[in-house]
Amino acid sequence: MSFISLMGALEIGLIFALVALGVLISFRILNFPDLTADGSFPLGGAVAATLIAGGYDPWFATALAMVAGAGAGFVTGWLNVRLNILQLLASILVMIALYSINLRIMGAPNVPLIGEPTVFSPFLPGEGDAGYWIQPLVLAVIVIVAKLALDAYFASQSGLAMRATGANPRMARSQGISTDRAVLTGMAISNALIALGGALYVQTQGGSDISMGIGTIVVGLAAVIIGETLIPSRSLWIATLAAVLGAILYRLLIALALTADFIGLQAQDLNLITAVLVGFALVLPTIKAKLRKTLGGRNP
Amino acid sequence: MMRAQGLTKTFNPGTPIENRALRGLDLDIPTGQFVTVIGSNGAGKSTFLNAISGDLAVDQGSIHIDDKDVTRLNAWQRAGLVARVFQDPMAGTCEGLSIEENLSLAWQRGERRGLRRAVTPALREAFRAKLSTLKLGLENRLSDRMGLLSGGQRQAVSLLMASLKPSRILLLDEHTAALDPRTAAFVLELTDQIVADGKLTTLMVTHSMRQALDHGDRTVMLHQGRVVLDVSGEERARLDVPHLLAMFEKTRGETLDDDALLLG
Repeated sequence: MSFISLMGALEIGLIFALVALGVLISFRILNFPDLTADGSFPLGGAVAATLIAGGYDPWFATALAMVAGAGAGFVTGWLNVRLNILQLLASILVMIALYSINLRIMGAPNVPLIGEPTVFSPFLPGEGDAGYWIQPLVLAVIVIVAKLALDAYFASQSGLAMRATGANPRMARSQGISTDRAVLTGMAISNALIALGGALYVQTQGGSDISMGIGTIVVGLAAVIIGETLIPSRSLWIATLAAVLGAILYRLLIALALTADFIGLQAQDLNLITAVLVGFALVLPTIKAKLRKTLGGRNP
Repeated sequence: MMRAQGLTKTFNPGTPIENRALRGLDLDIPTGQFVTVIGSNGAGKSTFLNAISGDLAVDQGSIHIDDKDVTRLNAWQRAGLVARVFQDPMAGTCEGLSIEENLSLAWQRGERRGLRRAVTPALREAFRAKLSTLKLGLENRLSDRMGLLSGGQRQAVSLLMASLKPSRILLLDEHTAALDPRTAAFVLELTDQIVADGKLTTLMVTHSMRQALDHGDRTVMLHQGRVVLDVSGEERARLDVPHLLAMFEKTRGETLDDDALLLG
């Protein structure tokens, strides 16, 4: 694998680290199976790309993309806590609705950003192609800030209330926690992070496309599962770290699989590789336990 | 002070499995009184407790806590007034969170939760002091996960959590039923101590007549969603389990066929 493709994989891995952090909040902390990601990731991309192409400041565009993502997550949560629609179904409804909304926002199936300024522009050298490592570096800073901010939040009173809501809603209510409000807040934060990923994705890939969201949730879940399989822990700051590392490792593995010519895989095999990787990560704990048992049996 | 007036609650109304759990239940508990509640299965004990805590909305009637009408408030809105220990040791705590995090949740019961740190060094010291009163050695395990504790330890911590913040009424829902006899005795002793220390207004549902008479100042028996027996003071002091049983049969004019009430 060349240096350029390695940096490319790292770049996308870091972007999906934000998605993974979002998925960690909904699936693991709130215990809310949320598929909104497939809509909120391209929503972030659509908002950011359309605003940047319209001449707005990239940072402003990215911030607004996060607000839009928060709104999408809020609606999914609202459908569940207020209208009692099943969590999975509520998120599928929002995901489908977002497909139309994203087309409306962009006004076309795609918005190119070639030659437009991005959040990375101020850091990139004017000429030449020496900047391959700069985008991943800027992304790494953003991901680290997001991870540390989340860690701090979940150690706060409000963050602890959210964790209790996901772990034991009845107990949370008996302690005076509005579980509805906690779910709405958590869903908003989760999808704001995913939309941030989408907004940064379009700025690294040179444009937004309506189909860019397909499979986002699977990749996010894959990252979370790979992370917690490799670094199992009950501690939250390790769980966020594991999600970030899981996302990066996942993209590196994908890049490795695709560039290793002797395997003969092509770009269209991406989803198949994902399924195999996630499947492997899911059975790994069972294999580990079995292995320990057999080894323990031989060595009493 | 807690006043329940004419509470009714029917589950699955108009269906073959209709269940009239509460049928006009009245009960007044003055401030500082410790009331024990007994009754056979389906008498409405749990429904009554859930109605006070706000987990269930009643069909009719009203609930006042300290002259405040809480009938229309839900569980989290009442939490500042009501403290609660559940029957299931798993229900009252979060097993995935540490002991100190669970205590921190209870420390803020009914209060606004902001962005300040949930567990500060000062708070940790306060929790350590509180936990040491349990004499279970938990004061050295603050950062251990709640799930690592035994059922009895978890119930003891639940009791402590319920008493961290002042409450207008403490609800104990058969909180020793899931424990072995020795642990149950320990938790009950702890209950008496915490209630006495805090002069707490308490409502304890129990499955055993023995417990109901040995603890608290007043015993109430529920049957078919109503109060059928209400004894306190002298009269209660003279009562024994067989008497209580006889009184129950006289009141209802029927024979009690539930052996569970005799046990314990």
